Amino acid sequence: MEVQLGHYLALASIIFGIGAIGFLTRRNVLIQLMSIELMLNSVNLTLLAFNRWASSDHAGQMFAFFVIAVAAAEAAVGLAIVVGFFRLHHTVHTDQANTLKH
Amino acid sequence: MVATYLPLLIMILVAVALALTLFLLAVVLGNKNMTPEKAMPYESGQSTGDARHIRLSLTFFLTAIVFTVFDIEAVFLFAWAAMFRELGWFGLMEMVAFMLILGVTLVYAFRKGAFEWEK
Amino acid sequence: MSPWLALSPLLVVGIGSLTVMMVDAFSNKKDDLSILSSAILIAAAAIAGSLWFGGLPPQTPEILAPYLAVDAMSQFFNITICGGAALCAMLAGGYLREHDLERGDFYSMLMLCAFGAMVLSSATDLVSVFIGLETMSLGVYCLVAFRRGSARAIEGAIKYFLLGSFAAAILLFGSALLYGATGHTDLLGIGQTIRNGNAELGLALVAMSMLVVGLAFKVSAVPFHMWTPDAYEGAITPATAFMSVVVKAAAFAVMLRVLITCFGDPLSAGAASGWPPIIAVVAVVTMIYGNIAAIYQSNIKRMLAYSSIAHAGYILIGVVAAFRVQNTAVSAVLYYLMAYTVSNVLAFGSLIVMGTRGKEAVTFDDLAGAGKRHPMAALPFIIGMLSLMGFPPTAGFFGKYYVFNAALQADSGMHWLVIIAVIASAIGAFYYLRVIVYLFMKDPETGAPQAVAMKSGYVVTALVLSAYFVLEMGITPSNYLKMALAAAAGLV
Repeated sequence: MEVQLGHYLALASIIFGIGAIGFLTRRNVLIQLMSIELMLNSVNLTLLAFNRWASSDHAGQMFAFFVIAVAAAEAAVGLAIVVGFFRLHHTVHTDQANTLKH
Repeated sequence: MVATYLPLLIMILVAVALALTLFLLAVVLGNKNMTPEKAMPYESGQSTGDARHIRLSLTFFLTAIVFTVFDIEAVFLFAWAAMFRELGWFGLMEMVAFMLILGVTLVYAFRKGAFEWEK
Repeated sequence: MSPWLALSPLLVVGIGSLTVMMVDAFSNKKDDLSILSSAILIAAAAIAGSLWFGGLPPQTPEILAPYLAVDAMSQFFNITICGGAALCAMLAGGYLREHDLERGDFYSMLMLCAFGAMVLSSATDLVSVFIGLETMSLGVYCLVAFRRGSARAIEGAIKYFLLGSFAAAILLFGSALLYGATGHTDLLGIGQTIRNGNAELGLALVAMSMLVVGLAFKVSAVPFHMWTPDAYEGAITPATAFMSVVVKAAAFAVMLRVLITCFGDPLSAGAASGWPPIIAVVAVVTMIYGNIAAIYQSNIKRMLAYSSIAHAGYILIGVVAAFRVQNTAVSAVLYYLMAYTVSNVLAFGSLIVMGTRGKEAVTFDDLAGAGKRHPMAALPFIIGMLSLMGFPPTAGFFGKYYVFNAALQADSGMHWLVIIAVIASAIGAFYYLRVIVYLFMKDPETGAPQAVAMKSGYVVTALVLSAYFVLEMGITPSNYLKMALAAAAGLV
């Protein structure tokens, strides 16, 4: 059995789904951050798979580079905000974020 | 193709099944009288009591964050290095500009005291 | 035209923000940064203007072409974004000093955000869309968290950050699928492939809905608005003004570009151009929800947050109409965004002026009788509220008028949209007028906290400028509409 485009896409969708479900169900900010990273990495997998099978140029690979770089910047900003949150509440659970009323 | 790997597959399945069975047996048959001592994580007979309250200095996180960003920006250097000859002078100038911007941010982080361990 | 010249507004803001960073790092005087950054931003707006009126190249320089457009529309947004950001920098100059928050990183962050917004509004490639979007968003998350010790600020930032990154991931997955469906990352190439019928239509459709979700989040359309009130309330007021003005304008710019360039052709795409009904439904829900929720707010910033949601709904009507009458509708949206920029800066600026340290106007009750005590500070508040309400002769009135007009021209099926929008804005009048009622017709209860007006040259300058433009755009709207029409012609 040879690995085809469809397999990569299926794997990427599963990873994306795991990330999305993790983001929506967990209340620990760090785990939510990890879930977002998971989603971004599944995008990278999708881009590379399409680049290999469905495209003539290397736009997908280049796109993936930028996604990696931006994901790092996003993680840095996210962690900085989480550190700020932890300083105030001494926890990383978003349930504690309920000062603002709806 | 599939036949070559069949023994491997069977072995994995057996291993997983065995592990699951033993785990479930322990859950079903074992009697559970939980005490606070038992609920504690075991670490070589020593009390782990206050381990999670050890505070890492915030500078540690700050340095880690700065490191992550600067580390990952290096991906563009790899892409440039792979195409170094094709890109020629134009690529070099672009990379110099990129490094200059990174340099400015590094100076900024330095001046703002992001790397001072002792305040 | 050389690529350097074509990129000059972006370069000015980019190098300018690095300069502001260096000044901040090496100088101890912080109060000049407000002047410096607003001067750089105004210079960038002026350069964009002279580029535009000096004659744009018929074709974007080749080296930029797939990634960034140097057309009339991008210059229009450069002017709007830089102008709005400059006004916010002035507001910050007064606000930060008054509230003892003076830190230089606010200005460098604000300029980097403006840079991201400018990239986003002229992006013509999925890669540059993503980079612009993230540059802008990451900066805005930091702006929201600017007041580090405040639980509200951090909470707003953490909600905004988590939901924003989630939406960005969805948008990105949509981009990846669109790349797979068409084999292109540039919007023009994607559009052509779909039009020629060479795209995987099913995949393109899924990609489109993911892109719409991501963009709807950024413009804070219902049901993706949850972050808006919290982030608006948690952020310091100049940052809130910036979010409501610059972020929204850039997000609508990219929404127009993506939807029209990629999925715009009504004849060919069939199922792939199914976005107008989706956006229409989102617009209706957004207008109704935003206006009704705004009525129940006691906090003025939250009220303005829901008002900004409601305005996103009106603008979305213009986006839907762009499907049929592209030029009219796009120019109406552009005019609306410019009008909304100046009106919102005016509203948030008046809110800033209505508060010295410890005596800020937070709720409606704090405003009670403030108009009698400080009539000069209340005047811009009135103009801002009337413009947001859409009362002639202000910018807001013509913004709504042009958008509704475009919708009526577009399709007889869109009449009901306009009717709902008119009803929604009638509901909206209630909470805007409520501000004026509290300012002038209520007396503060004895012992209740009262807002005391502050004095700051920066804030007054920003207020005078934005009030001037609100009235100017309301009295001679045709000049600005002409500008918007010329800009709309740039969108292919």
